[in-house]
This record gives sequence, C-alpha cells and structure tokens, in this order.
Amino acid sequence: MNALTRAELLRRAAMGGVVVSLPGFLAACGGGGDEAGGTTAAGTQELADTLRFSNWPYYIDRDPNNKQKSPSLEQFTAQTGVKVEYVEDVNDNATYFGKIQGPLSQGRGIDRDLIVMTDNSRFPGLLVAKKWVEELDKERIPNMANLIDAQKSPPFDPDRTYSIPWLSGITGIATNLKASGGDVVTTMQQLLEDPKLKGKVTLLTEVADTMSPIMLENGDDPSKVTDESWNKAFDRVQKAVDAGQIRRFTGNDYVADLERGNIAAAVSWSGDVATGLAANKALRWNLPEKGSDIWTDNMFIPLEGSVPTASEYMNFVLDPKIAAMIAVGSGFISGVKGVKEEAVKLDPESANNPLIFPDDEILSNVVQFDSAALNNQTYIEQWQKLLGA
Amino acid sequence: MTFIHRHRWLAPLLLLAPGLAWLAVFFLVPLVFLGYQSLESGSFETGYSFTWEFSNFWDAITGYDEQLIRSFLYAGIATVATLAISYPLVYWIAFHGGRWKNLLLLLIVAPFFVTYLIRTLAWQNILADEGPVVGFLRDIHVLEPDGRLLATTLAVVAGITYNFLPFMALPLYVSLEQIDARLLEAAQDLYASKTKAFLRVTLPLSAPGIVAGTLLTFIPAAGDFINAQLLGTPNQYMIGNVIQSKYLELIDYPAAAALSFVLMALIMVSLLVYARVVGTERLTG
Amino acid sequence: MTTAAETLPARPRPSATSRAWAFVRRHALGAYALLALAYLMLPIVVVIVFSLNQPAGRFNYTWQQFTLDNWTNWDAVPGIRDAVILSLEIALLSTIVATVLGTLVALALVRHRFRARGTTNLLVFLPMATPEIVLGASLLTLFLQLRFATGFATIFIAHVMFIISYVVVTVKARLVGFDRHLEEAAMDLGANEWVTFYKVTLPLIAPAILSAALLGFAISIDDFVITYFNAGSETTFPLFVWGAARVAVPPQVNVVASAIFVIAITAMAINIIFQSRRGRQAKGIA
Repeated sequence: MNALTRAELLRRAAMGGVVVSLPGFLAACGGGGDEAGGTTAAGTQELADTLRFSNWPYYIDRDPNNKQKSPSLEQFTAQTGVKVEYVEDVNDNATYFGKIQGPLSQGRGIDRDLIVMTDNSRFPGLLVAKKWVEELDKERIPNMANLIDAQKSPPFDPDRTYSIPWLSGITGIATNLKASGGDVVTTMQQLLEDPKLKGKVTLLTEVADTMSPIMLENGDDPSKVTDESWNKAFDRVQKAVDAGQIRRFTGNDYVADLERGNIAAAVSWSGDVATGLAANKALRWNLPEKGSDIWTDNMFIPLEGSVPTASEYMNFVLDPKIAAMIAVGSGFISGVKGVKEEAVKLDPESANNPLIFPDDEILSNVVQFDSAALNNQTYIEQWQKLLGA
Repeated sequence: MTFIHRHRWLAPLLLLAPGLAWLAVFFLVPLVFLGYQSLESGSFETGYSFTWEFSNFWDAITGYDEQLIRSFLYAGIATVATLAISYPLVYWIAFHGGRWKNLLLLLIVAPFFVTYLIRTLAWQNILADEGPVVGFLRDIHVLEPDGRLLATTLAVVAGITYNFLPFMALPLYVSLEQIDARLLEAAQDLYASKTKAFLRVTLPLSAPGIVAGTLLTFIPAAGDFINAQLLGTPNQYMIGNVIQSKYLELIDYPAAAALSFVLMALIMVSLLVYARVVGTERLTG
Repeated sequence: MTTAAETLPARPRPSATSRAWAFVRRHALGAYALLALAYLMLPIVVVIVFSLNQPAGRFNYTWQQFTLDNWTNWDAVPGIRDAVILSLEIALLSTIVATVLGTLVALALVRHRFRARGTTNLLVFLPMATPEIVLGASLLTLFLQLRFATGFATIFIAHVMFIISYVVVTVKARLVGFDRHLEEAAMDLGANEWVTFYKVTLPLIAPAILSAALLGFAISIDDFVITYFNAGSETTFPLFVWGAARVAVPPQVNVVASAIFVIAITAMAINIIFQSRRGRQAKGIA
C-alpha cells in the first residue's frame, strides 16, 4: 500500500498536465441544464437550498480582498443555485468526532450535509463501520473518474461508497523565527530536546502526525508499527512533556499561537503556514529531516445530510479546474488528475510549490501511518493519558 | 379559597412543587444516572453495560490523583487570593462608599457580564509572550529574558482568581454591609484602636460572608477547566480537563462519570463539614 | 480660662514625612480599591478596545487602526448572528420560567413553616455549589440514557435548572426583610389573599424579582460549560466563541461581547438608581 501510494503520487506528479477525462470535461464546460436544481434521471430528490459544510480551517481558497468569501464556493452557488453554509468547526478529529457522535449514535443528523475527517485517524473507519454516513449518489458524481489511482480505493472505504477525498497534506515543522531566536527547527530532536525551545513547542493531538516523524527519526517505520517502535517514540514524547518542553498539544489551533509568537516551533500541516500565515514574514515551514507522514482528508455525508446536494458538490470539486482553485488557494495537495495544468493557468508560480505539487524528494520521505495502530486500544489509552496529563 | 384555608399545609407545597420538581428531575436524577453510568464498563466501540464496575472509581482516583490534587490546590490558592484581593476592596465600598455603594458594587460584578471565555481570552492576549505586560516585566528583570507568563501555573491560578473574584466579593459585601457602624464606634469609645476594632469586631462579624464566599469560589474553581486549557500546559491540567476530554473526546463515559462522582464526593464532604460548623440557615441565607 | 501669661505649649507641627504618611494611610484603602477596580476592568477594556480594531490578518492581537466597521458589520462572520439569536432566545425563555419557579419557591421558604425547610434550602443551594462540569456532565448522562436528543430543549432545561437557585437566593434575601404589616393592613381592609398578593406584595417585591431575572439572564447568556455538554449541534454565543478561539477570534466577537456588557451594565445601573430613588421616596412617605 505504501509503495503504491508513493509510486502513484510520483506518477501523477510526473504526468504534469494530463488527460482530462471526458465526463469531467463536459462538467467543466458547464454543460447540462440539469445541473441547476432540477431532478436528474438518477436522482429523485431535488437539491436543497443550502449545503451545510463543516471543514477544517485554512482549507479552502479565499478571496484575497475579502477573507469571508471563497471563489470556488461562489462558483458552485452560481452554477447550481445552492448556497453554501461553510463552517470551519473541525479543529481535530477526535474532538469533532466526540461532538457529532452523540446525535449520530442515536440515528439522528447533525445539521450538516458534508463533513471532513482525516484518514490517519480511526474515525473515517468508525463512521463507515457504524453506518453513520450516507451512501453517495454516484450517478451525480461522474467526475469520480478524475481521482488519481492512489485515491481510488482507501482501506476504510474500498469502493468509494461513502467518501471523496478533499485534500492531502504533509506534516512538518513550522518555526517562528522571532520566537526561536533566529534558528529554523528542522528535526524532531531539536523540537523535543533543544533547551532553547523549552516551553515554546507544540505537538499535534493527532497520533499519526506526531508519532510518524519521531518514529522515522528513531529509524522505525510508521507504516508498520510495533509495540517496540511505539514505546520508543512514545517515551521520547513523554520525556519532553515531563520536562516542560511541550507547551501543549493542539489541533489546528497552533496557528494562532505561532502567529502570535507564543510558540517557536510547532508540528504542523503543510498548507497552513504557506497560505494561512502568508502575512507573517517570520514563519518558516519544512519537512523534518528524517521525514514524516502524508495523509488525506475525506468528505463524508453524515446521516440525514442531503445526499443529492452533497454529491453534486463532490462532483463539482472533482473537476480539475475547481480542484486547482482549491489546492492553490489552500496550499495543499489535490487528489484529482490534471490539476497541475489548471493550477499553472491560475498561478504559474504554484507549479513550483513543493507543498502543492510535491517532488520526488519529498514523496520519498513521507509515509502513511499504520491504520491498524490507530485502532489499538492500548496505544489509544496511552496517548489520551498523555494528552490529558 | 376556603379549600386552601382548610388545608393550609398545601400552600407551601403548591408553591414549592414546580421549582423543586424541576430541580429534582434535572439535578438529582441526573446524579443518580451519573452513578449508574460510573458502574458501567465497556468502550465506545463495543457499547456499555452495567456491571457494578467499582474498579472505575479506584482507577479514577489512582490514575488521576495528580489532577485531583492539583485542582484542589489551585482552587485553594485562588480562593485565598480572591479573599485577599477583594476584602479590602469590599471593605472600602461598604464603609466608605456612601451613596455610590451600589454602583461601585456593580463595577465589581461587571466582569461577570462579559462572557467567561472572552475574559479569559483577553487575559491570554494581555499576558502574551510578545505582549506589553511580559515585555515590561522582562525589562525590569522580574522575568528572565525568555521568561513568560502564559502556559504557567501562575497564569492559570491568576485566571481562576480573576474569574471567580465576584463570587467572593458579593457575599463578603453582604455581610460587611450589614455591620452596624455604631458597633465600631462603641469599640472605639472603649479605647480600641482602629486595628483592634477591625480584628475584634469587623472581622468576626464578616465571618459568614467569608465562609459563603469561600464556598462559592472554591467549589466551582475546583471543577474549572477553561483557565487551564487556555492559559496553561498539560502540566497544569485540572480534573475538569480530564472529565471534559473523557466525555466529549474519548467518549469513555464510565470513567468520566466515575471521575465526576469522585470530584463531587470530595466537594460534598467539605460542604457537609462546613454546613455542620456554620449551620445550613447561615450558609444558605 | 487662660490668661495672656498662660499660653498653652505650642503643639509641635507634624513633620512633612509624617504628614505625608498620614495622608497615604488615610487614602491607602481608597487607592487600593481603585487599583483593584482597575484590575477588574482591564480585560473588559481590552475587549472593548479591540472591538474597534481593524486586524491586519485573521488575528486580532495587535492594534492596527481604529474602525467602526466591526460594529456596523457585526454579523459579517458566518454563524455569529444565529449564535447570538439562539443565546438570546434561550436566555429569555429560561429566565422567565426560572424566575417564576424560583420566586414561588422563595415565597414558600420565607412565608411558611414546614418540615422539609432545611432540606429544601439545601436542595436549592446545591446546584450553585456543584462544579458546572458535574452539572453539565450529569445532565448529558440523563439525556443519553433516556435517548433524548440534545439541542434547544436540553439547553433550555439545563439553563432553567441552574438559574432557579440564583433566583431563589436573590428573592429570598429581599423577602426576609419584607414588612408583613402592609399585607395585614390590606387584608384588614377587606382584600382577600389573591388581591393582597397581586396589589400589595407583588409590586413591593417586583424589584427583587427583576434583579433576580436580570441576574438569571446574564448567567444564561454567559454559560459555557453546561451548555457545551448539552448543546448537541446547536451553537450559542459562548460556544461560538470557543470554536472561534480554535482558529482566530474575529473582532465581531468582541463587538457582541461589548454590546452585551454595555446593555447589561446599563440595565443594572438603571435598576440600582431606580431602586435607590424608590427607597428614598419610601422613606419620605414613611
């Protein structure tokens, strides 16, 4: 699985501007009056007035003149007449899941048509296993053929019955030069053990994102976690916490502290620093020297979400033009074929951005975390004790 | 009308019924359910079942003794701090406030009207590492050049103190305000110095206020988690943080319920001790 | 009775330092009080000031420039308007219900002797003395076990529950000092109990009920912990702030908080001034 991912990503990157699939081409041409709110041959339900969409922060393209607006969302509304209620209330997978599991466990909806969760947490698997998500209306998503091969069949949803990828990203280390005294932090060892950074470092609450770079630095393989490799990495984290090195464990909320200068270095996600904090010149982001993990966020339709509307939106974002808008706008990696060509039209510089179009060097340095380890009860308890302590 | 006259004993019952019923159903009954849940076992994936799992309590106490002790310690320090800060302030208002007494009191309560979270976030802003306060303290060498105020025990305790100050100040004010100034005059007529008059007359008479304020401050403070979350590190996390995380993130209901019960029980014990010493009427006014 | 020859010995003029010290001692308490009040007001001032700030990026931490934009476009942030409206609805509804229930309980506790008085006192006092996290968690447990959906109804139930205690305590405090003679006089003049209550008692305890209601309203609007546990997918204003704090707190949040603060303080101030005026009037009559 691991090698396939890397190879597939490599191939995609190498392909550059590649064939745009025919259905995708038609959709991009805005063809078909049946896009706009009527019944299609397949769907017997109409589109809702509003699409309620929960997502992570800094994860969509934004109008540079008005941060509250998103060009891609506006285009969706223009094309389909459906308004989008876009809420950035996902801060970390566990917390968000904890919030929604109450109603979902009782078979009730959560007032959302789309939610986004990461595949390197155990929650996509749980959502599918517990049947808390609706099946996609595939007839409304012909653009599914645009998915790169690597994204066609994830372990938690092999037939893509319930989910469509949103964006992928890489975990790395962000540094605030002013707070770190001018040094860029490039290794987990620095992060965890450099006394100059004591109390000014944050780690992520996501197990996979924090443990992967540490395991890689230890010489272990995060895609095949053993008790030994787990404990070795865990002990390093525990020591750092006990020593007061770690200020706190964060979800996406490290961005505020980083911007403010309260922290010097944070384990962080690739696009956030690139675009979310473009204004602050003192910020740097880099991959840890020994590598880290790569992950994909996926869109799901929670119970009682409007399947036709959500499916329509999923189809919309699988169009390479739109996918390019979103990828370039947010600074993350798209799982759609033909994005690079479209991206270059939007912003020629973007083709050279390794965070959006990772080169071979980066790709060979990232792995996907072992999904079995995510469901290991012992590890889960240990980790939670660490977070809560 | 005559029905009520004949059954006078009904009158208080009718008055009490709706309010007490609400409290009984939505305060007492949930506690019973909490107890029930604390004896369950299982996990989120496999479901929960009632198994008289008393070990949950033991696990709660041993696993989180650090946070329990820390919570009571922080709450205790904060309570003493609120007493120290508010006593002179309230004294001044009660005895020297004159016509402006109530308006001044309003100023003490004023922070209450800005959402708790926003108050704490404001402190996060004020005490930021690159902010004016820390900068000033570094300049006058109270803090080391790379010292900080946020993410420390000091910040958390200071936050708790600030947020619960009105709970201490108000009961204190009530009891101080009721002190008849003539008693103090009498004491001074009997050659007591100002200090002695204070120690022998004012302080004892304000004791009920101190007791009430202490309880109203200490108890909620012990269960707080917001200050620790926003102003501290995991090394400052209190039992509230653990309970919150177990309920809403880990979805480990039996452990969370057991922890809540342990916290509740510890507080109840102190409350009963106080009630004994002071008497319920004095306590509840 | 002194003659010119017997002048009293001149009192030594106090030195400058001891005069200064006396000045300080006399005003020390006042100065301290002012410092303490400043300390209490500091975060509020910060909140209000930053509501008038035009942030450079997403973060509202450093002062950039003055603007009234945030106040005119207070609902520019998605979700804030619904959150504020929900908070107001809940506060209004739960305050009304809790005030009615609480006043009845207070009347019973003060006016009547009954066996369970001590226990009732305790039951009413307990919610105030229980940490919010236990209140919130136990209510959530109840709703989960009963498979009752969390949302508007559960928030409402929770708020009424914890406001009742505050209402009882506030109203009771005023009732205890209430002069029963007025009621007796009314009844001597032929009014039955209902009329007496409606025309004599109620108007006289109205200020206390109003204070209690205002207090309850403020507590409801502000509540975070209990609501956090029982809101389901609804978002009240404090919950919105919590969510925003994870990303970046927009200045509009400061605006809403400042607005609530100003309105609440003004309402309370008016209530106080009004009551003191009534008090002086009453003394005038008596």
